[in-house]
Amino acid sequence: MTPLCRMEDVRKTFRMGDDAVEVLKGIDLEIVHGEFAAIMGTSGSGKSTLMNLIGCLDVPTSGRYLLAGREVLGLKDDDLSVLRNAHIGFVFQNFYLLPYATVLENVLLPTLYRENAMDGARERAVELLRLIGLEARMRFRPNRLSGGEQQRVAICRALMNDPELLLADEPTGQLDSKTAAEIMNLLAKMNERGKTVIVVTHDPAIAACAKRIIRIKDGVIVDEQAG
Amino acid sequence: MKRTLLNLKIALGSLGNFKLRTALATLGVFFGTFSLVVVGNLSDSLALKTEQEIANLGNNLIIVVSGQVRRHGPNTPLISRATNLTLGDAEAIANTLPATSRVAPSGFRAFPVRRGNTVLKAIAVNGVTPDFGEVRNFEIAAGSPITEEDDRLQRKVALIGRTTAEKLFGEENPVGKTILIWRVPCQIIGVMAEKGADVAGNDQDNQLFIPLKTFLRNFVNQENVNIIYVQAVSAEAIDPLRGEIEALLRVRHKIRKEMKDDFTVVDLKEVTALKSQAMGLISVLGRIAAAASFLIGALGILSIMILIVNERRVEIGIRRAVGSRKRDIILQFLMESSFISVSGGMIGMAAGFLMSLAIAKVLDYPVTISGLGLLVAFAASALSGIVAGIYPSFKATQIHPVDIIREI
Repeated sequence: MTPLCRMEDVRKTFRMGDDAVEVLKGIDLEIVHGEFAAIMGTSGSGKSTLMNLIGCLDVPTSGRYLLAGREVLGLKDDDLSVLRNAHIGFVFQNFYLLPYATVLENVLLPTLYRENAMDGARERAVELLRLIGLEARMRFRPNRLSGGEQQRVAICRALMNDPELLLADEPTGQLDSKTAAEIMNLLAKMNERGKTVIVVTHDPAIAACAKRIIRIKDGVIVDEQAG
Repeated sequence: MKRTLLNLKIALGSLGNFKLRTALATLGVFFGTFSLVVVGNLSDSLALKTEQEIANLGNNLIIVVSGQVRRHGPNTPLISRATNLTLGDAEAIANTLPATSRVAPSGFRAFPVRRGNTVLKAIAVNGVTPDFGEVRNFEIAAGSPITEEDDRLQRKVALIGRTTAEKLFGEENPVGKTILIWRVPCQIIGVMAEKGADVAGNDQDNQLFIPLKTFLRNFVNQENVNIIYVQAVSAEAIDPLRGEIEALLRVRHKIRKEMKDDFTVVDLKEVTALKSQAMGLISVLGRIAAAASFLIGALGILSIMILIVNERRVEIGIRRAVGSRKRDIILQFLMESSFISVSGGMIGMAAGFLMSLAIAKVLDYPVTISGLGLLVAFAASALSGIVAGIYPSFKATQIHPVDIIREI
């Protein structure tokens, strides 16, 4: 079985004026279907850049990256959009729900950009909200929900197009420890249901929820362990 | 469609943050469509009004007026009162020019009119021949017309206009009654149908018609007529017939080559030309004002869209992250900007529509709706929105999710 993500000697260099800063210095990584992995590192370690590359928000400067068997390097901006829409669900630290849309409309957002319109999208969105216990509030604006509730809505949004990969960037950064545990439980539950989950964090307690921990430091993977 | 509605709803929520600015931005588009619709409707109204007036005056009509404007010195215009058109002139036109269908010579002068104790100081009294009604489109509502016999025998009979009849008789039926015109008792044999105002705005229902010979012998005691109405056989015959009439009258009046005419021939195109010119000028000014308004409106929308794009950086980043392509973002913001402008435009169209109704009412013009005017106004408002949205939506595509997501 081909791995979901496969990186070979991936490097990423940013230009800052005349200086070129190499943030990722040769990453080799494989994530297979159904994994629950945590990418850990301190601020400036390159973990966010790595996440952007895994999530096809950015392309490597050099190396190979195959997502679901497709080479990402050299893809056009529009192709990356299509790839993200179909294969990746994002969960962000700041939730990033649209303030002028209802909870239900936020969950429906990824369906707006599908290549093929989804039948019964609304029913699916309601079903996802029922799963996280927020069905009753689907007509609310996000600002009427608590942080934990907003993050659960964001997870529903990430799941809406049924992607293989859930990519969570510090998903509990804005939450208290009790709510954070609930969110991690929800992600674990999604993993049990077959989703591949990657959590990017600097918090060892959060990383401990994952089955595999990938530590990154100064742009290279320094250590891997089973969680 | 569903997607569009959802996007629009989100956009409206964002616009709510800039209510005043949005309203100001749409003001330009509002005035643009407003003036386009007003100008469009009014010029159509005027064209229709002119058409009606010409038909009202008489079909294929040429008017020969005695005398002409003469100038004595540069700044002292003087209208000659020479009354040198004769019944003979009218007969010569009728008998020698084949393009003539009917000829109606006519004299007129204002006389006091009395019935019992009611005195009207100056009512226009017209001496007319039986053909007058046909040539000038005057119809009789009640009673009988003036006949050849009435004219030949110089009968003291009169047709009365609606307004004059109301002044003298109120609700009473005037037919058969006798009134005193100047000092001649005349029997009213008929009431004219309502005609309304003429091109110059005079009430054509406030006058009397008597047989021409009665008028000439019993009232003004002369052989000359003031005016000869000539009906040409067709619209195409009008121009050549004018020239023929001029040539004929110059011969009959013994006017030498170097001398000016002592009569004036006009057709109705000239009568309405001035009005059309004035309206043309208003139309041009209105369209220039509209163009300026659209420009201002577009600039207003441009600035509000830049604000909106900046305010919604996160939204754009998220949309990009979940898979919207650049063209989806461009489409979204172009739709938003044209939505803003079209809403302003719709309100402007409605207001312009009401305004043109009001103006038509005040000027007593027929109400017309210029479909083309509405279409152009709509297209112009949509276009100004789209043009205004190009730069902001391009700016929106420059926002990348990576910039939005926290950098650690």
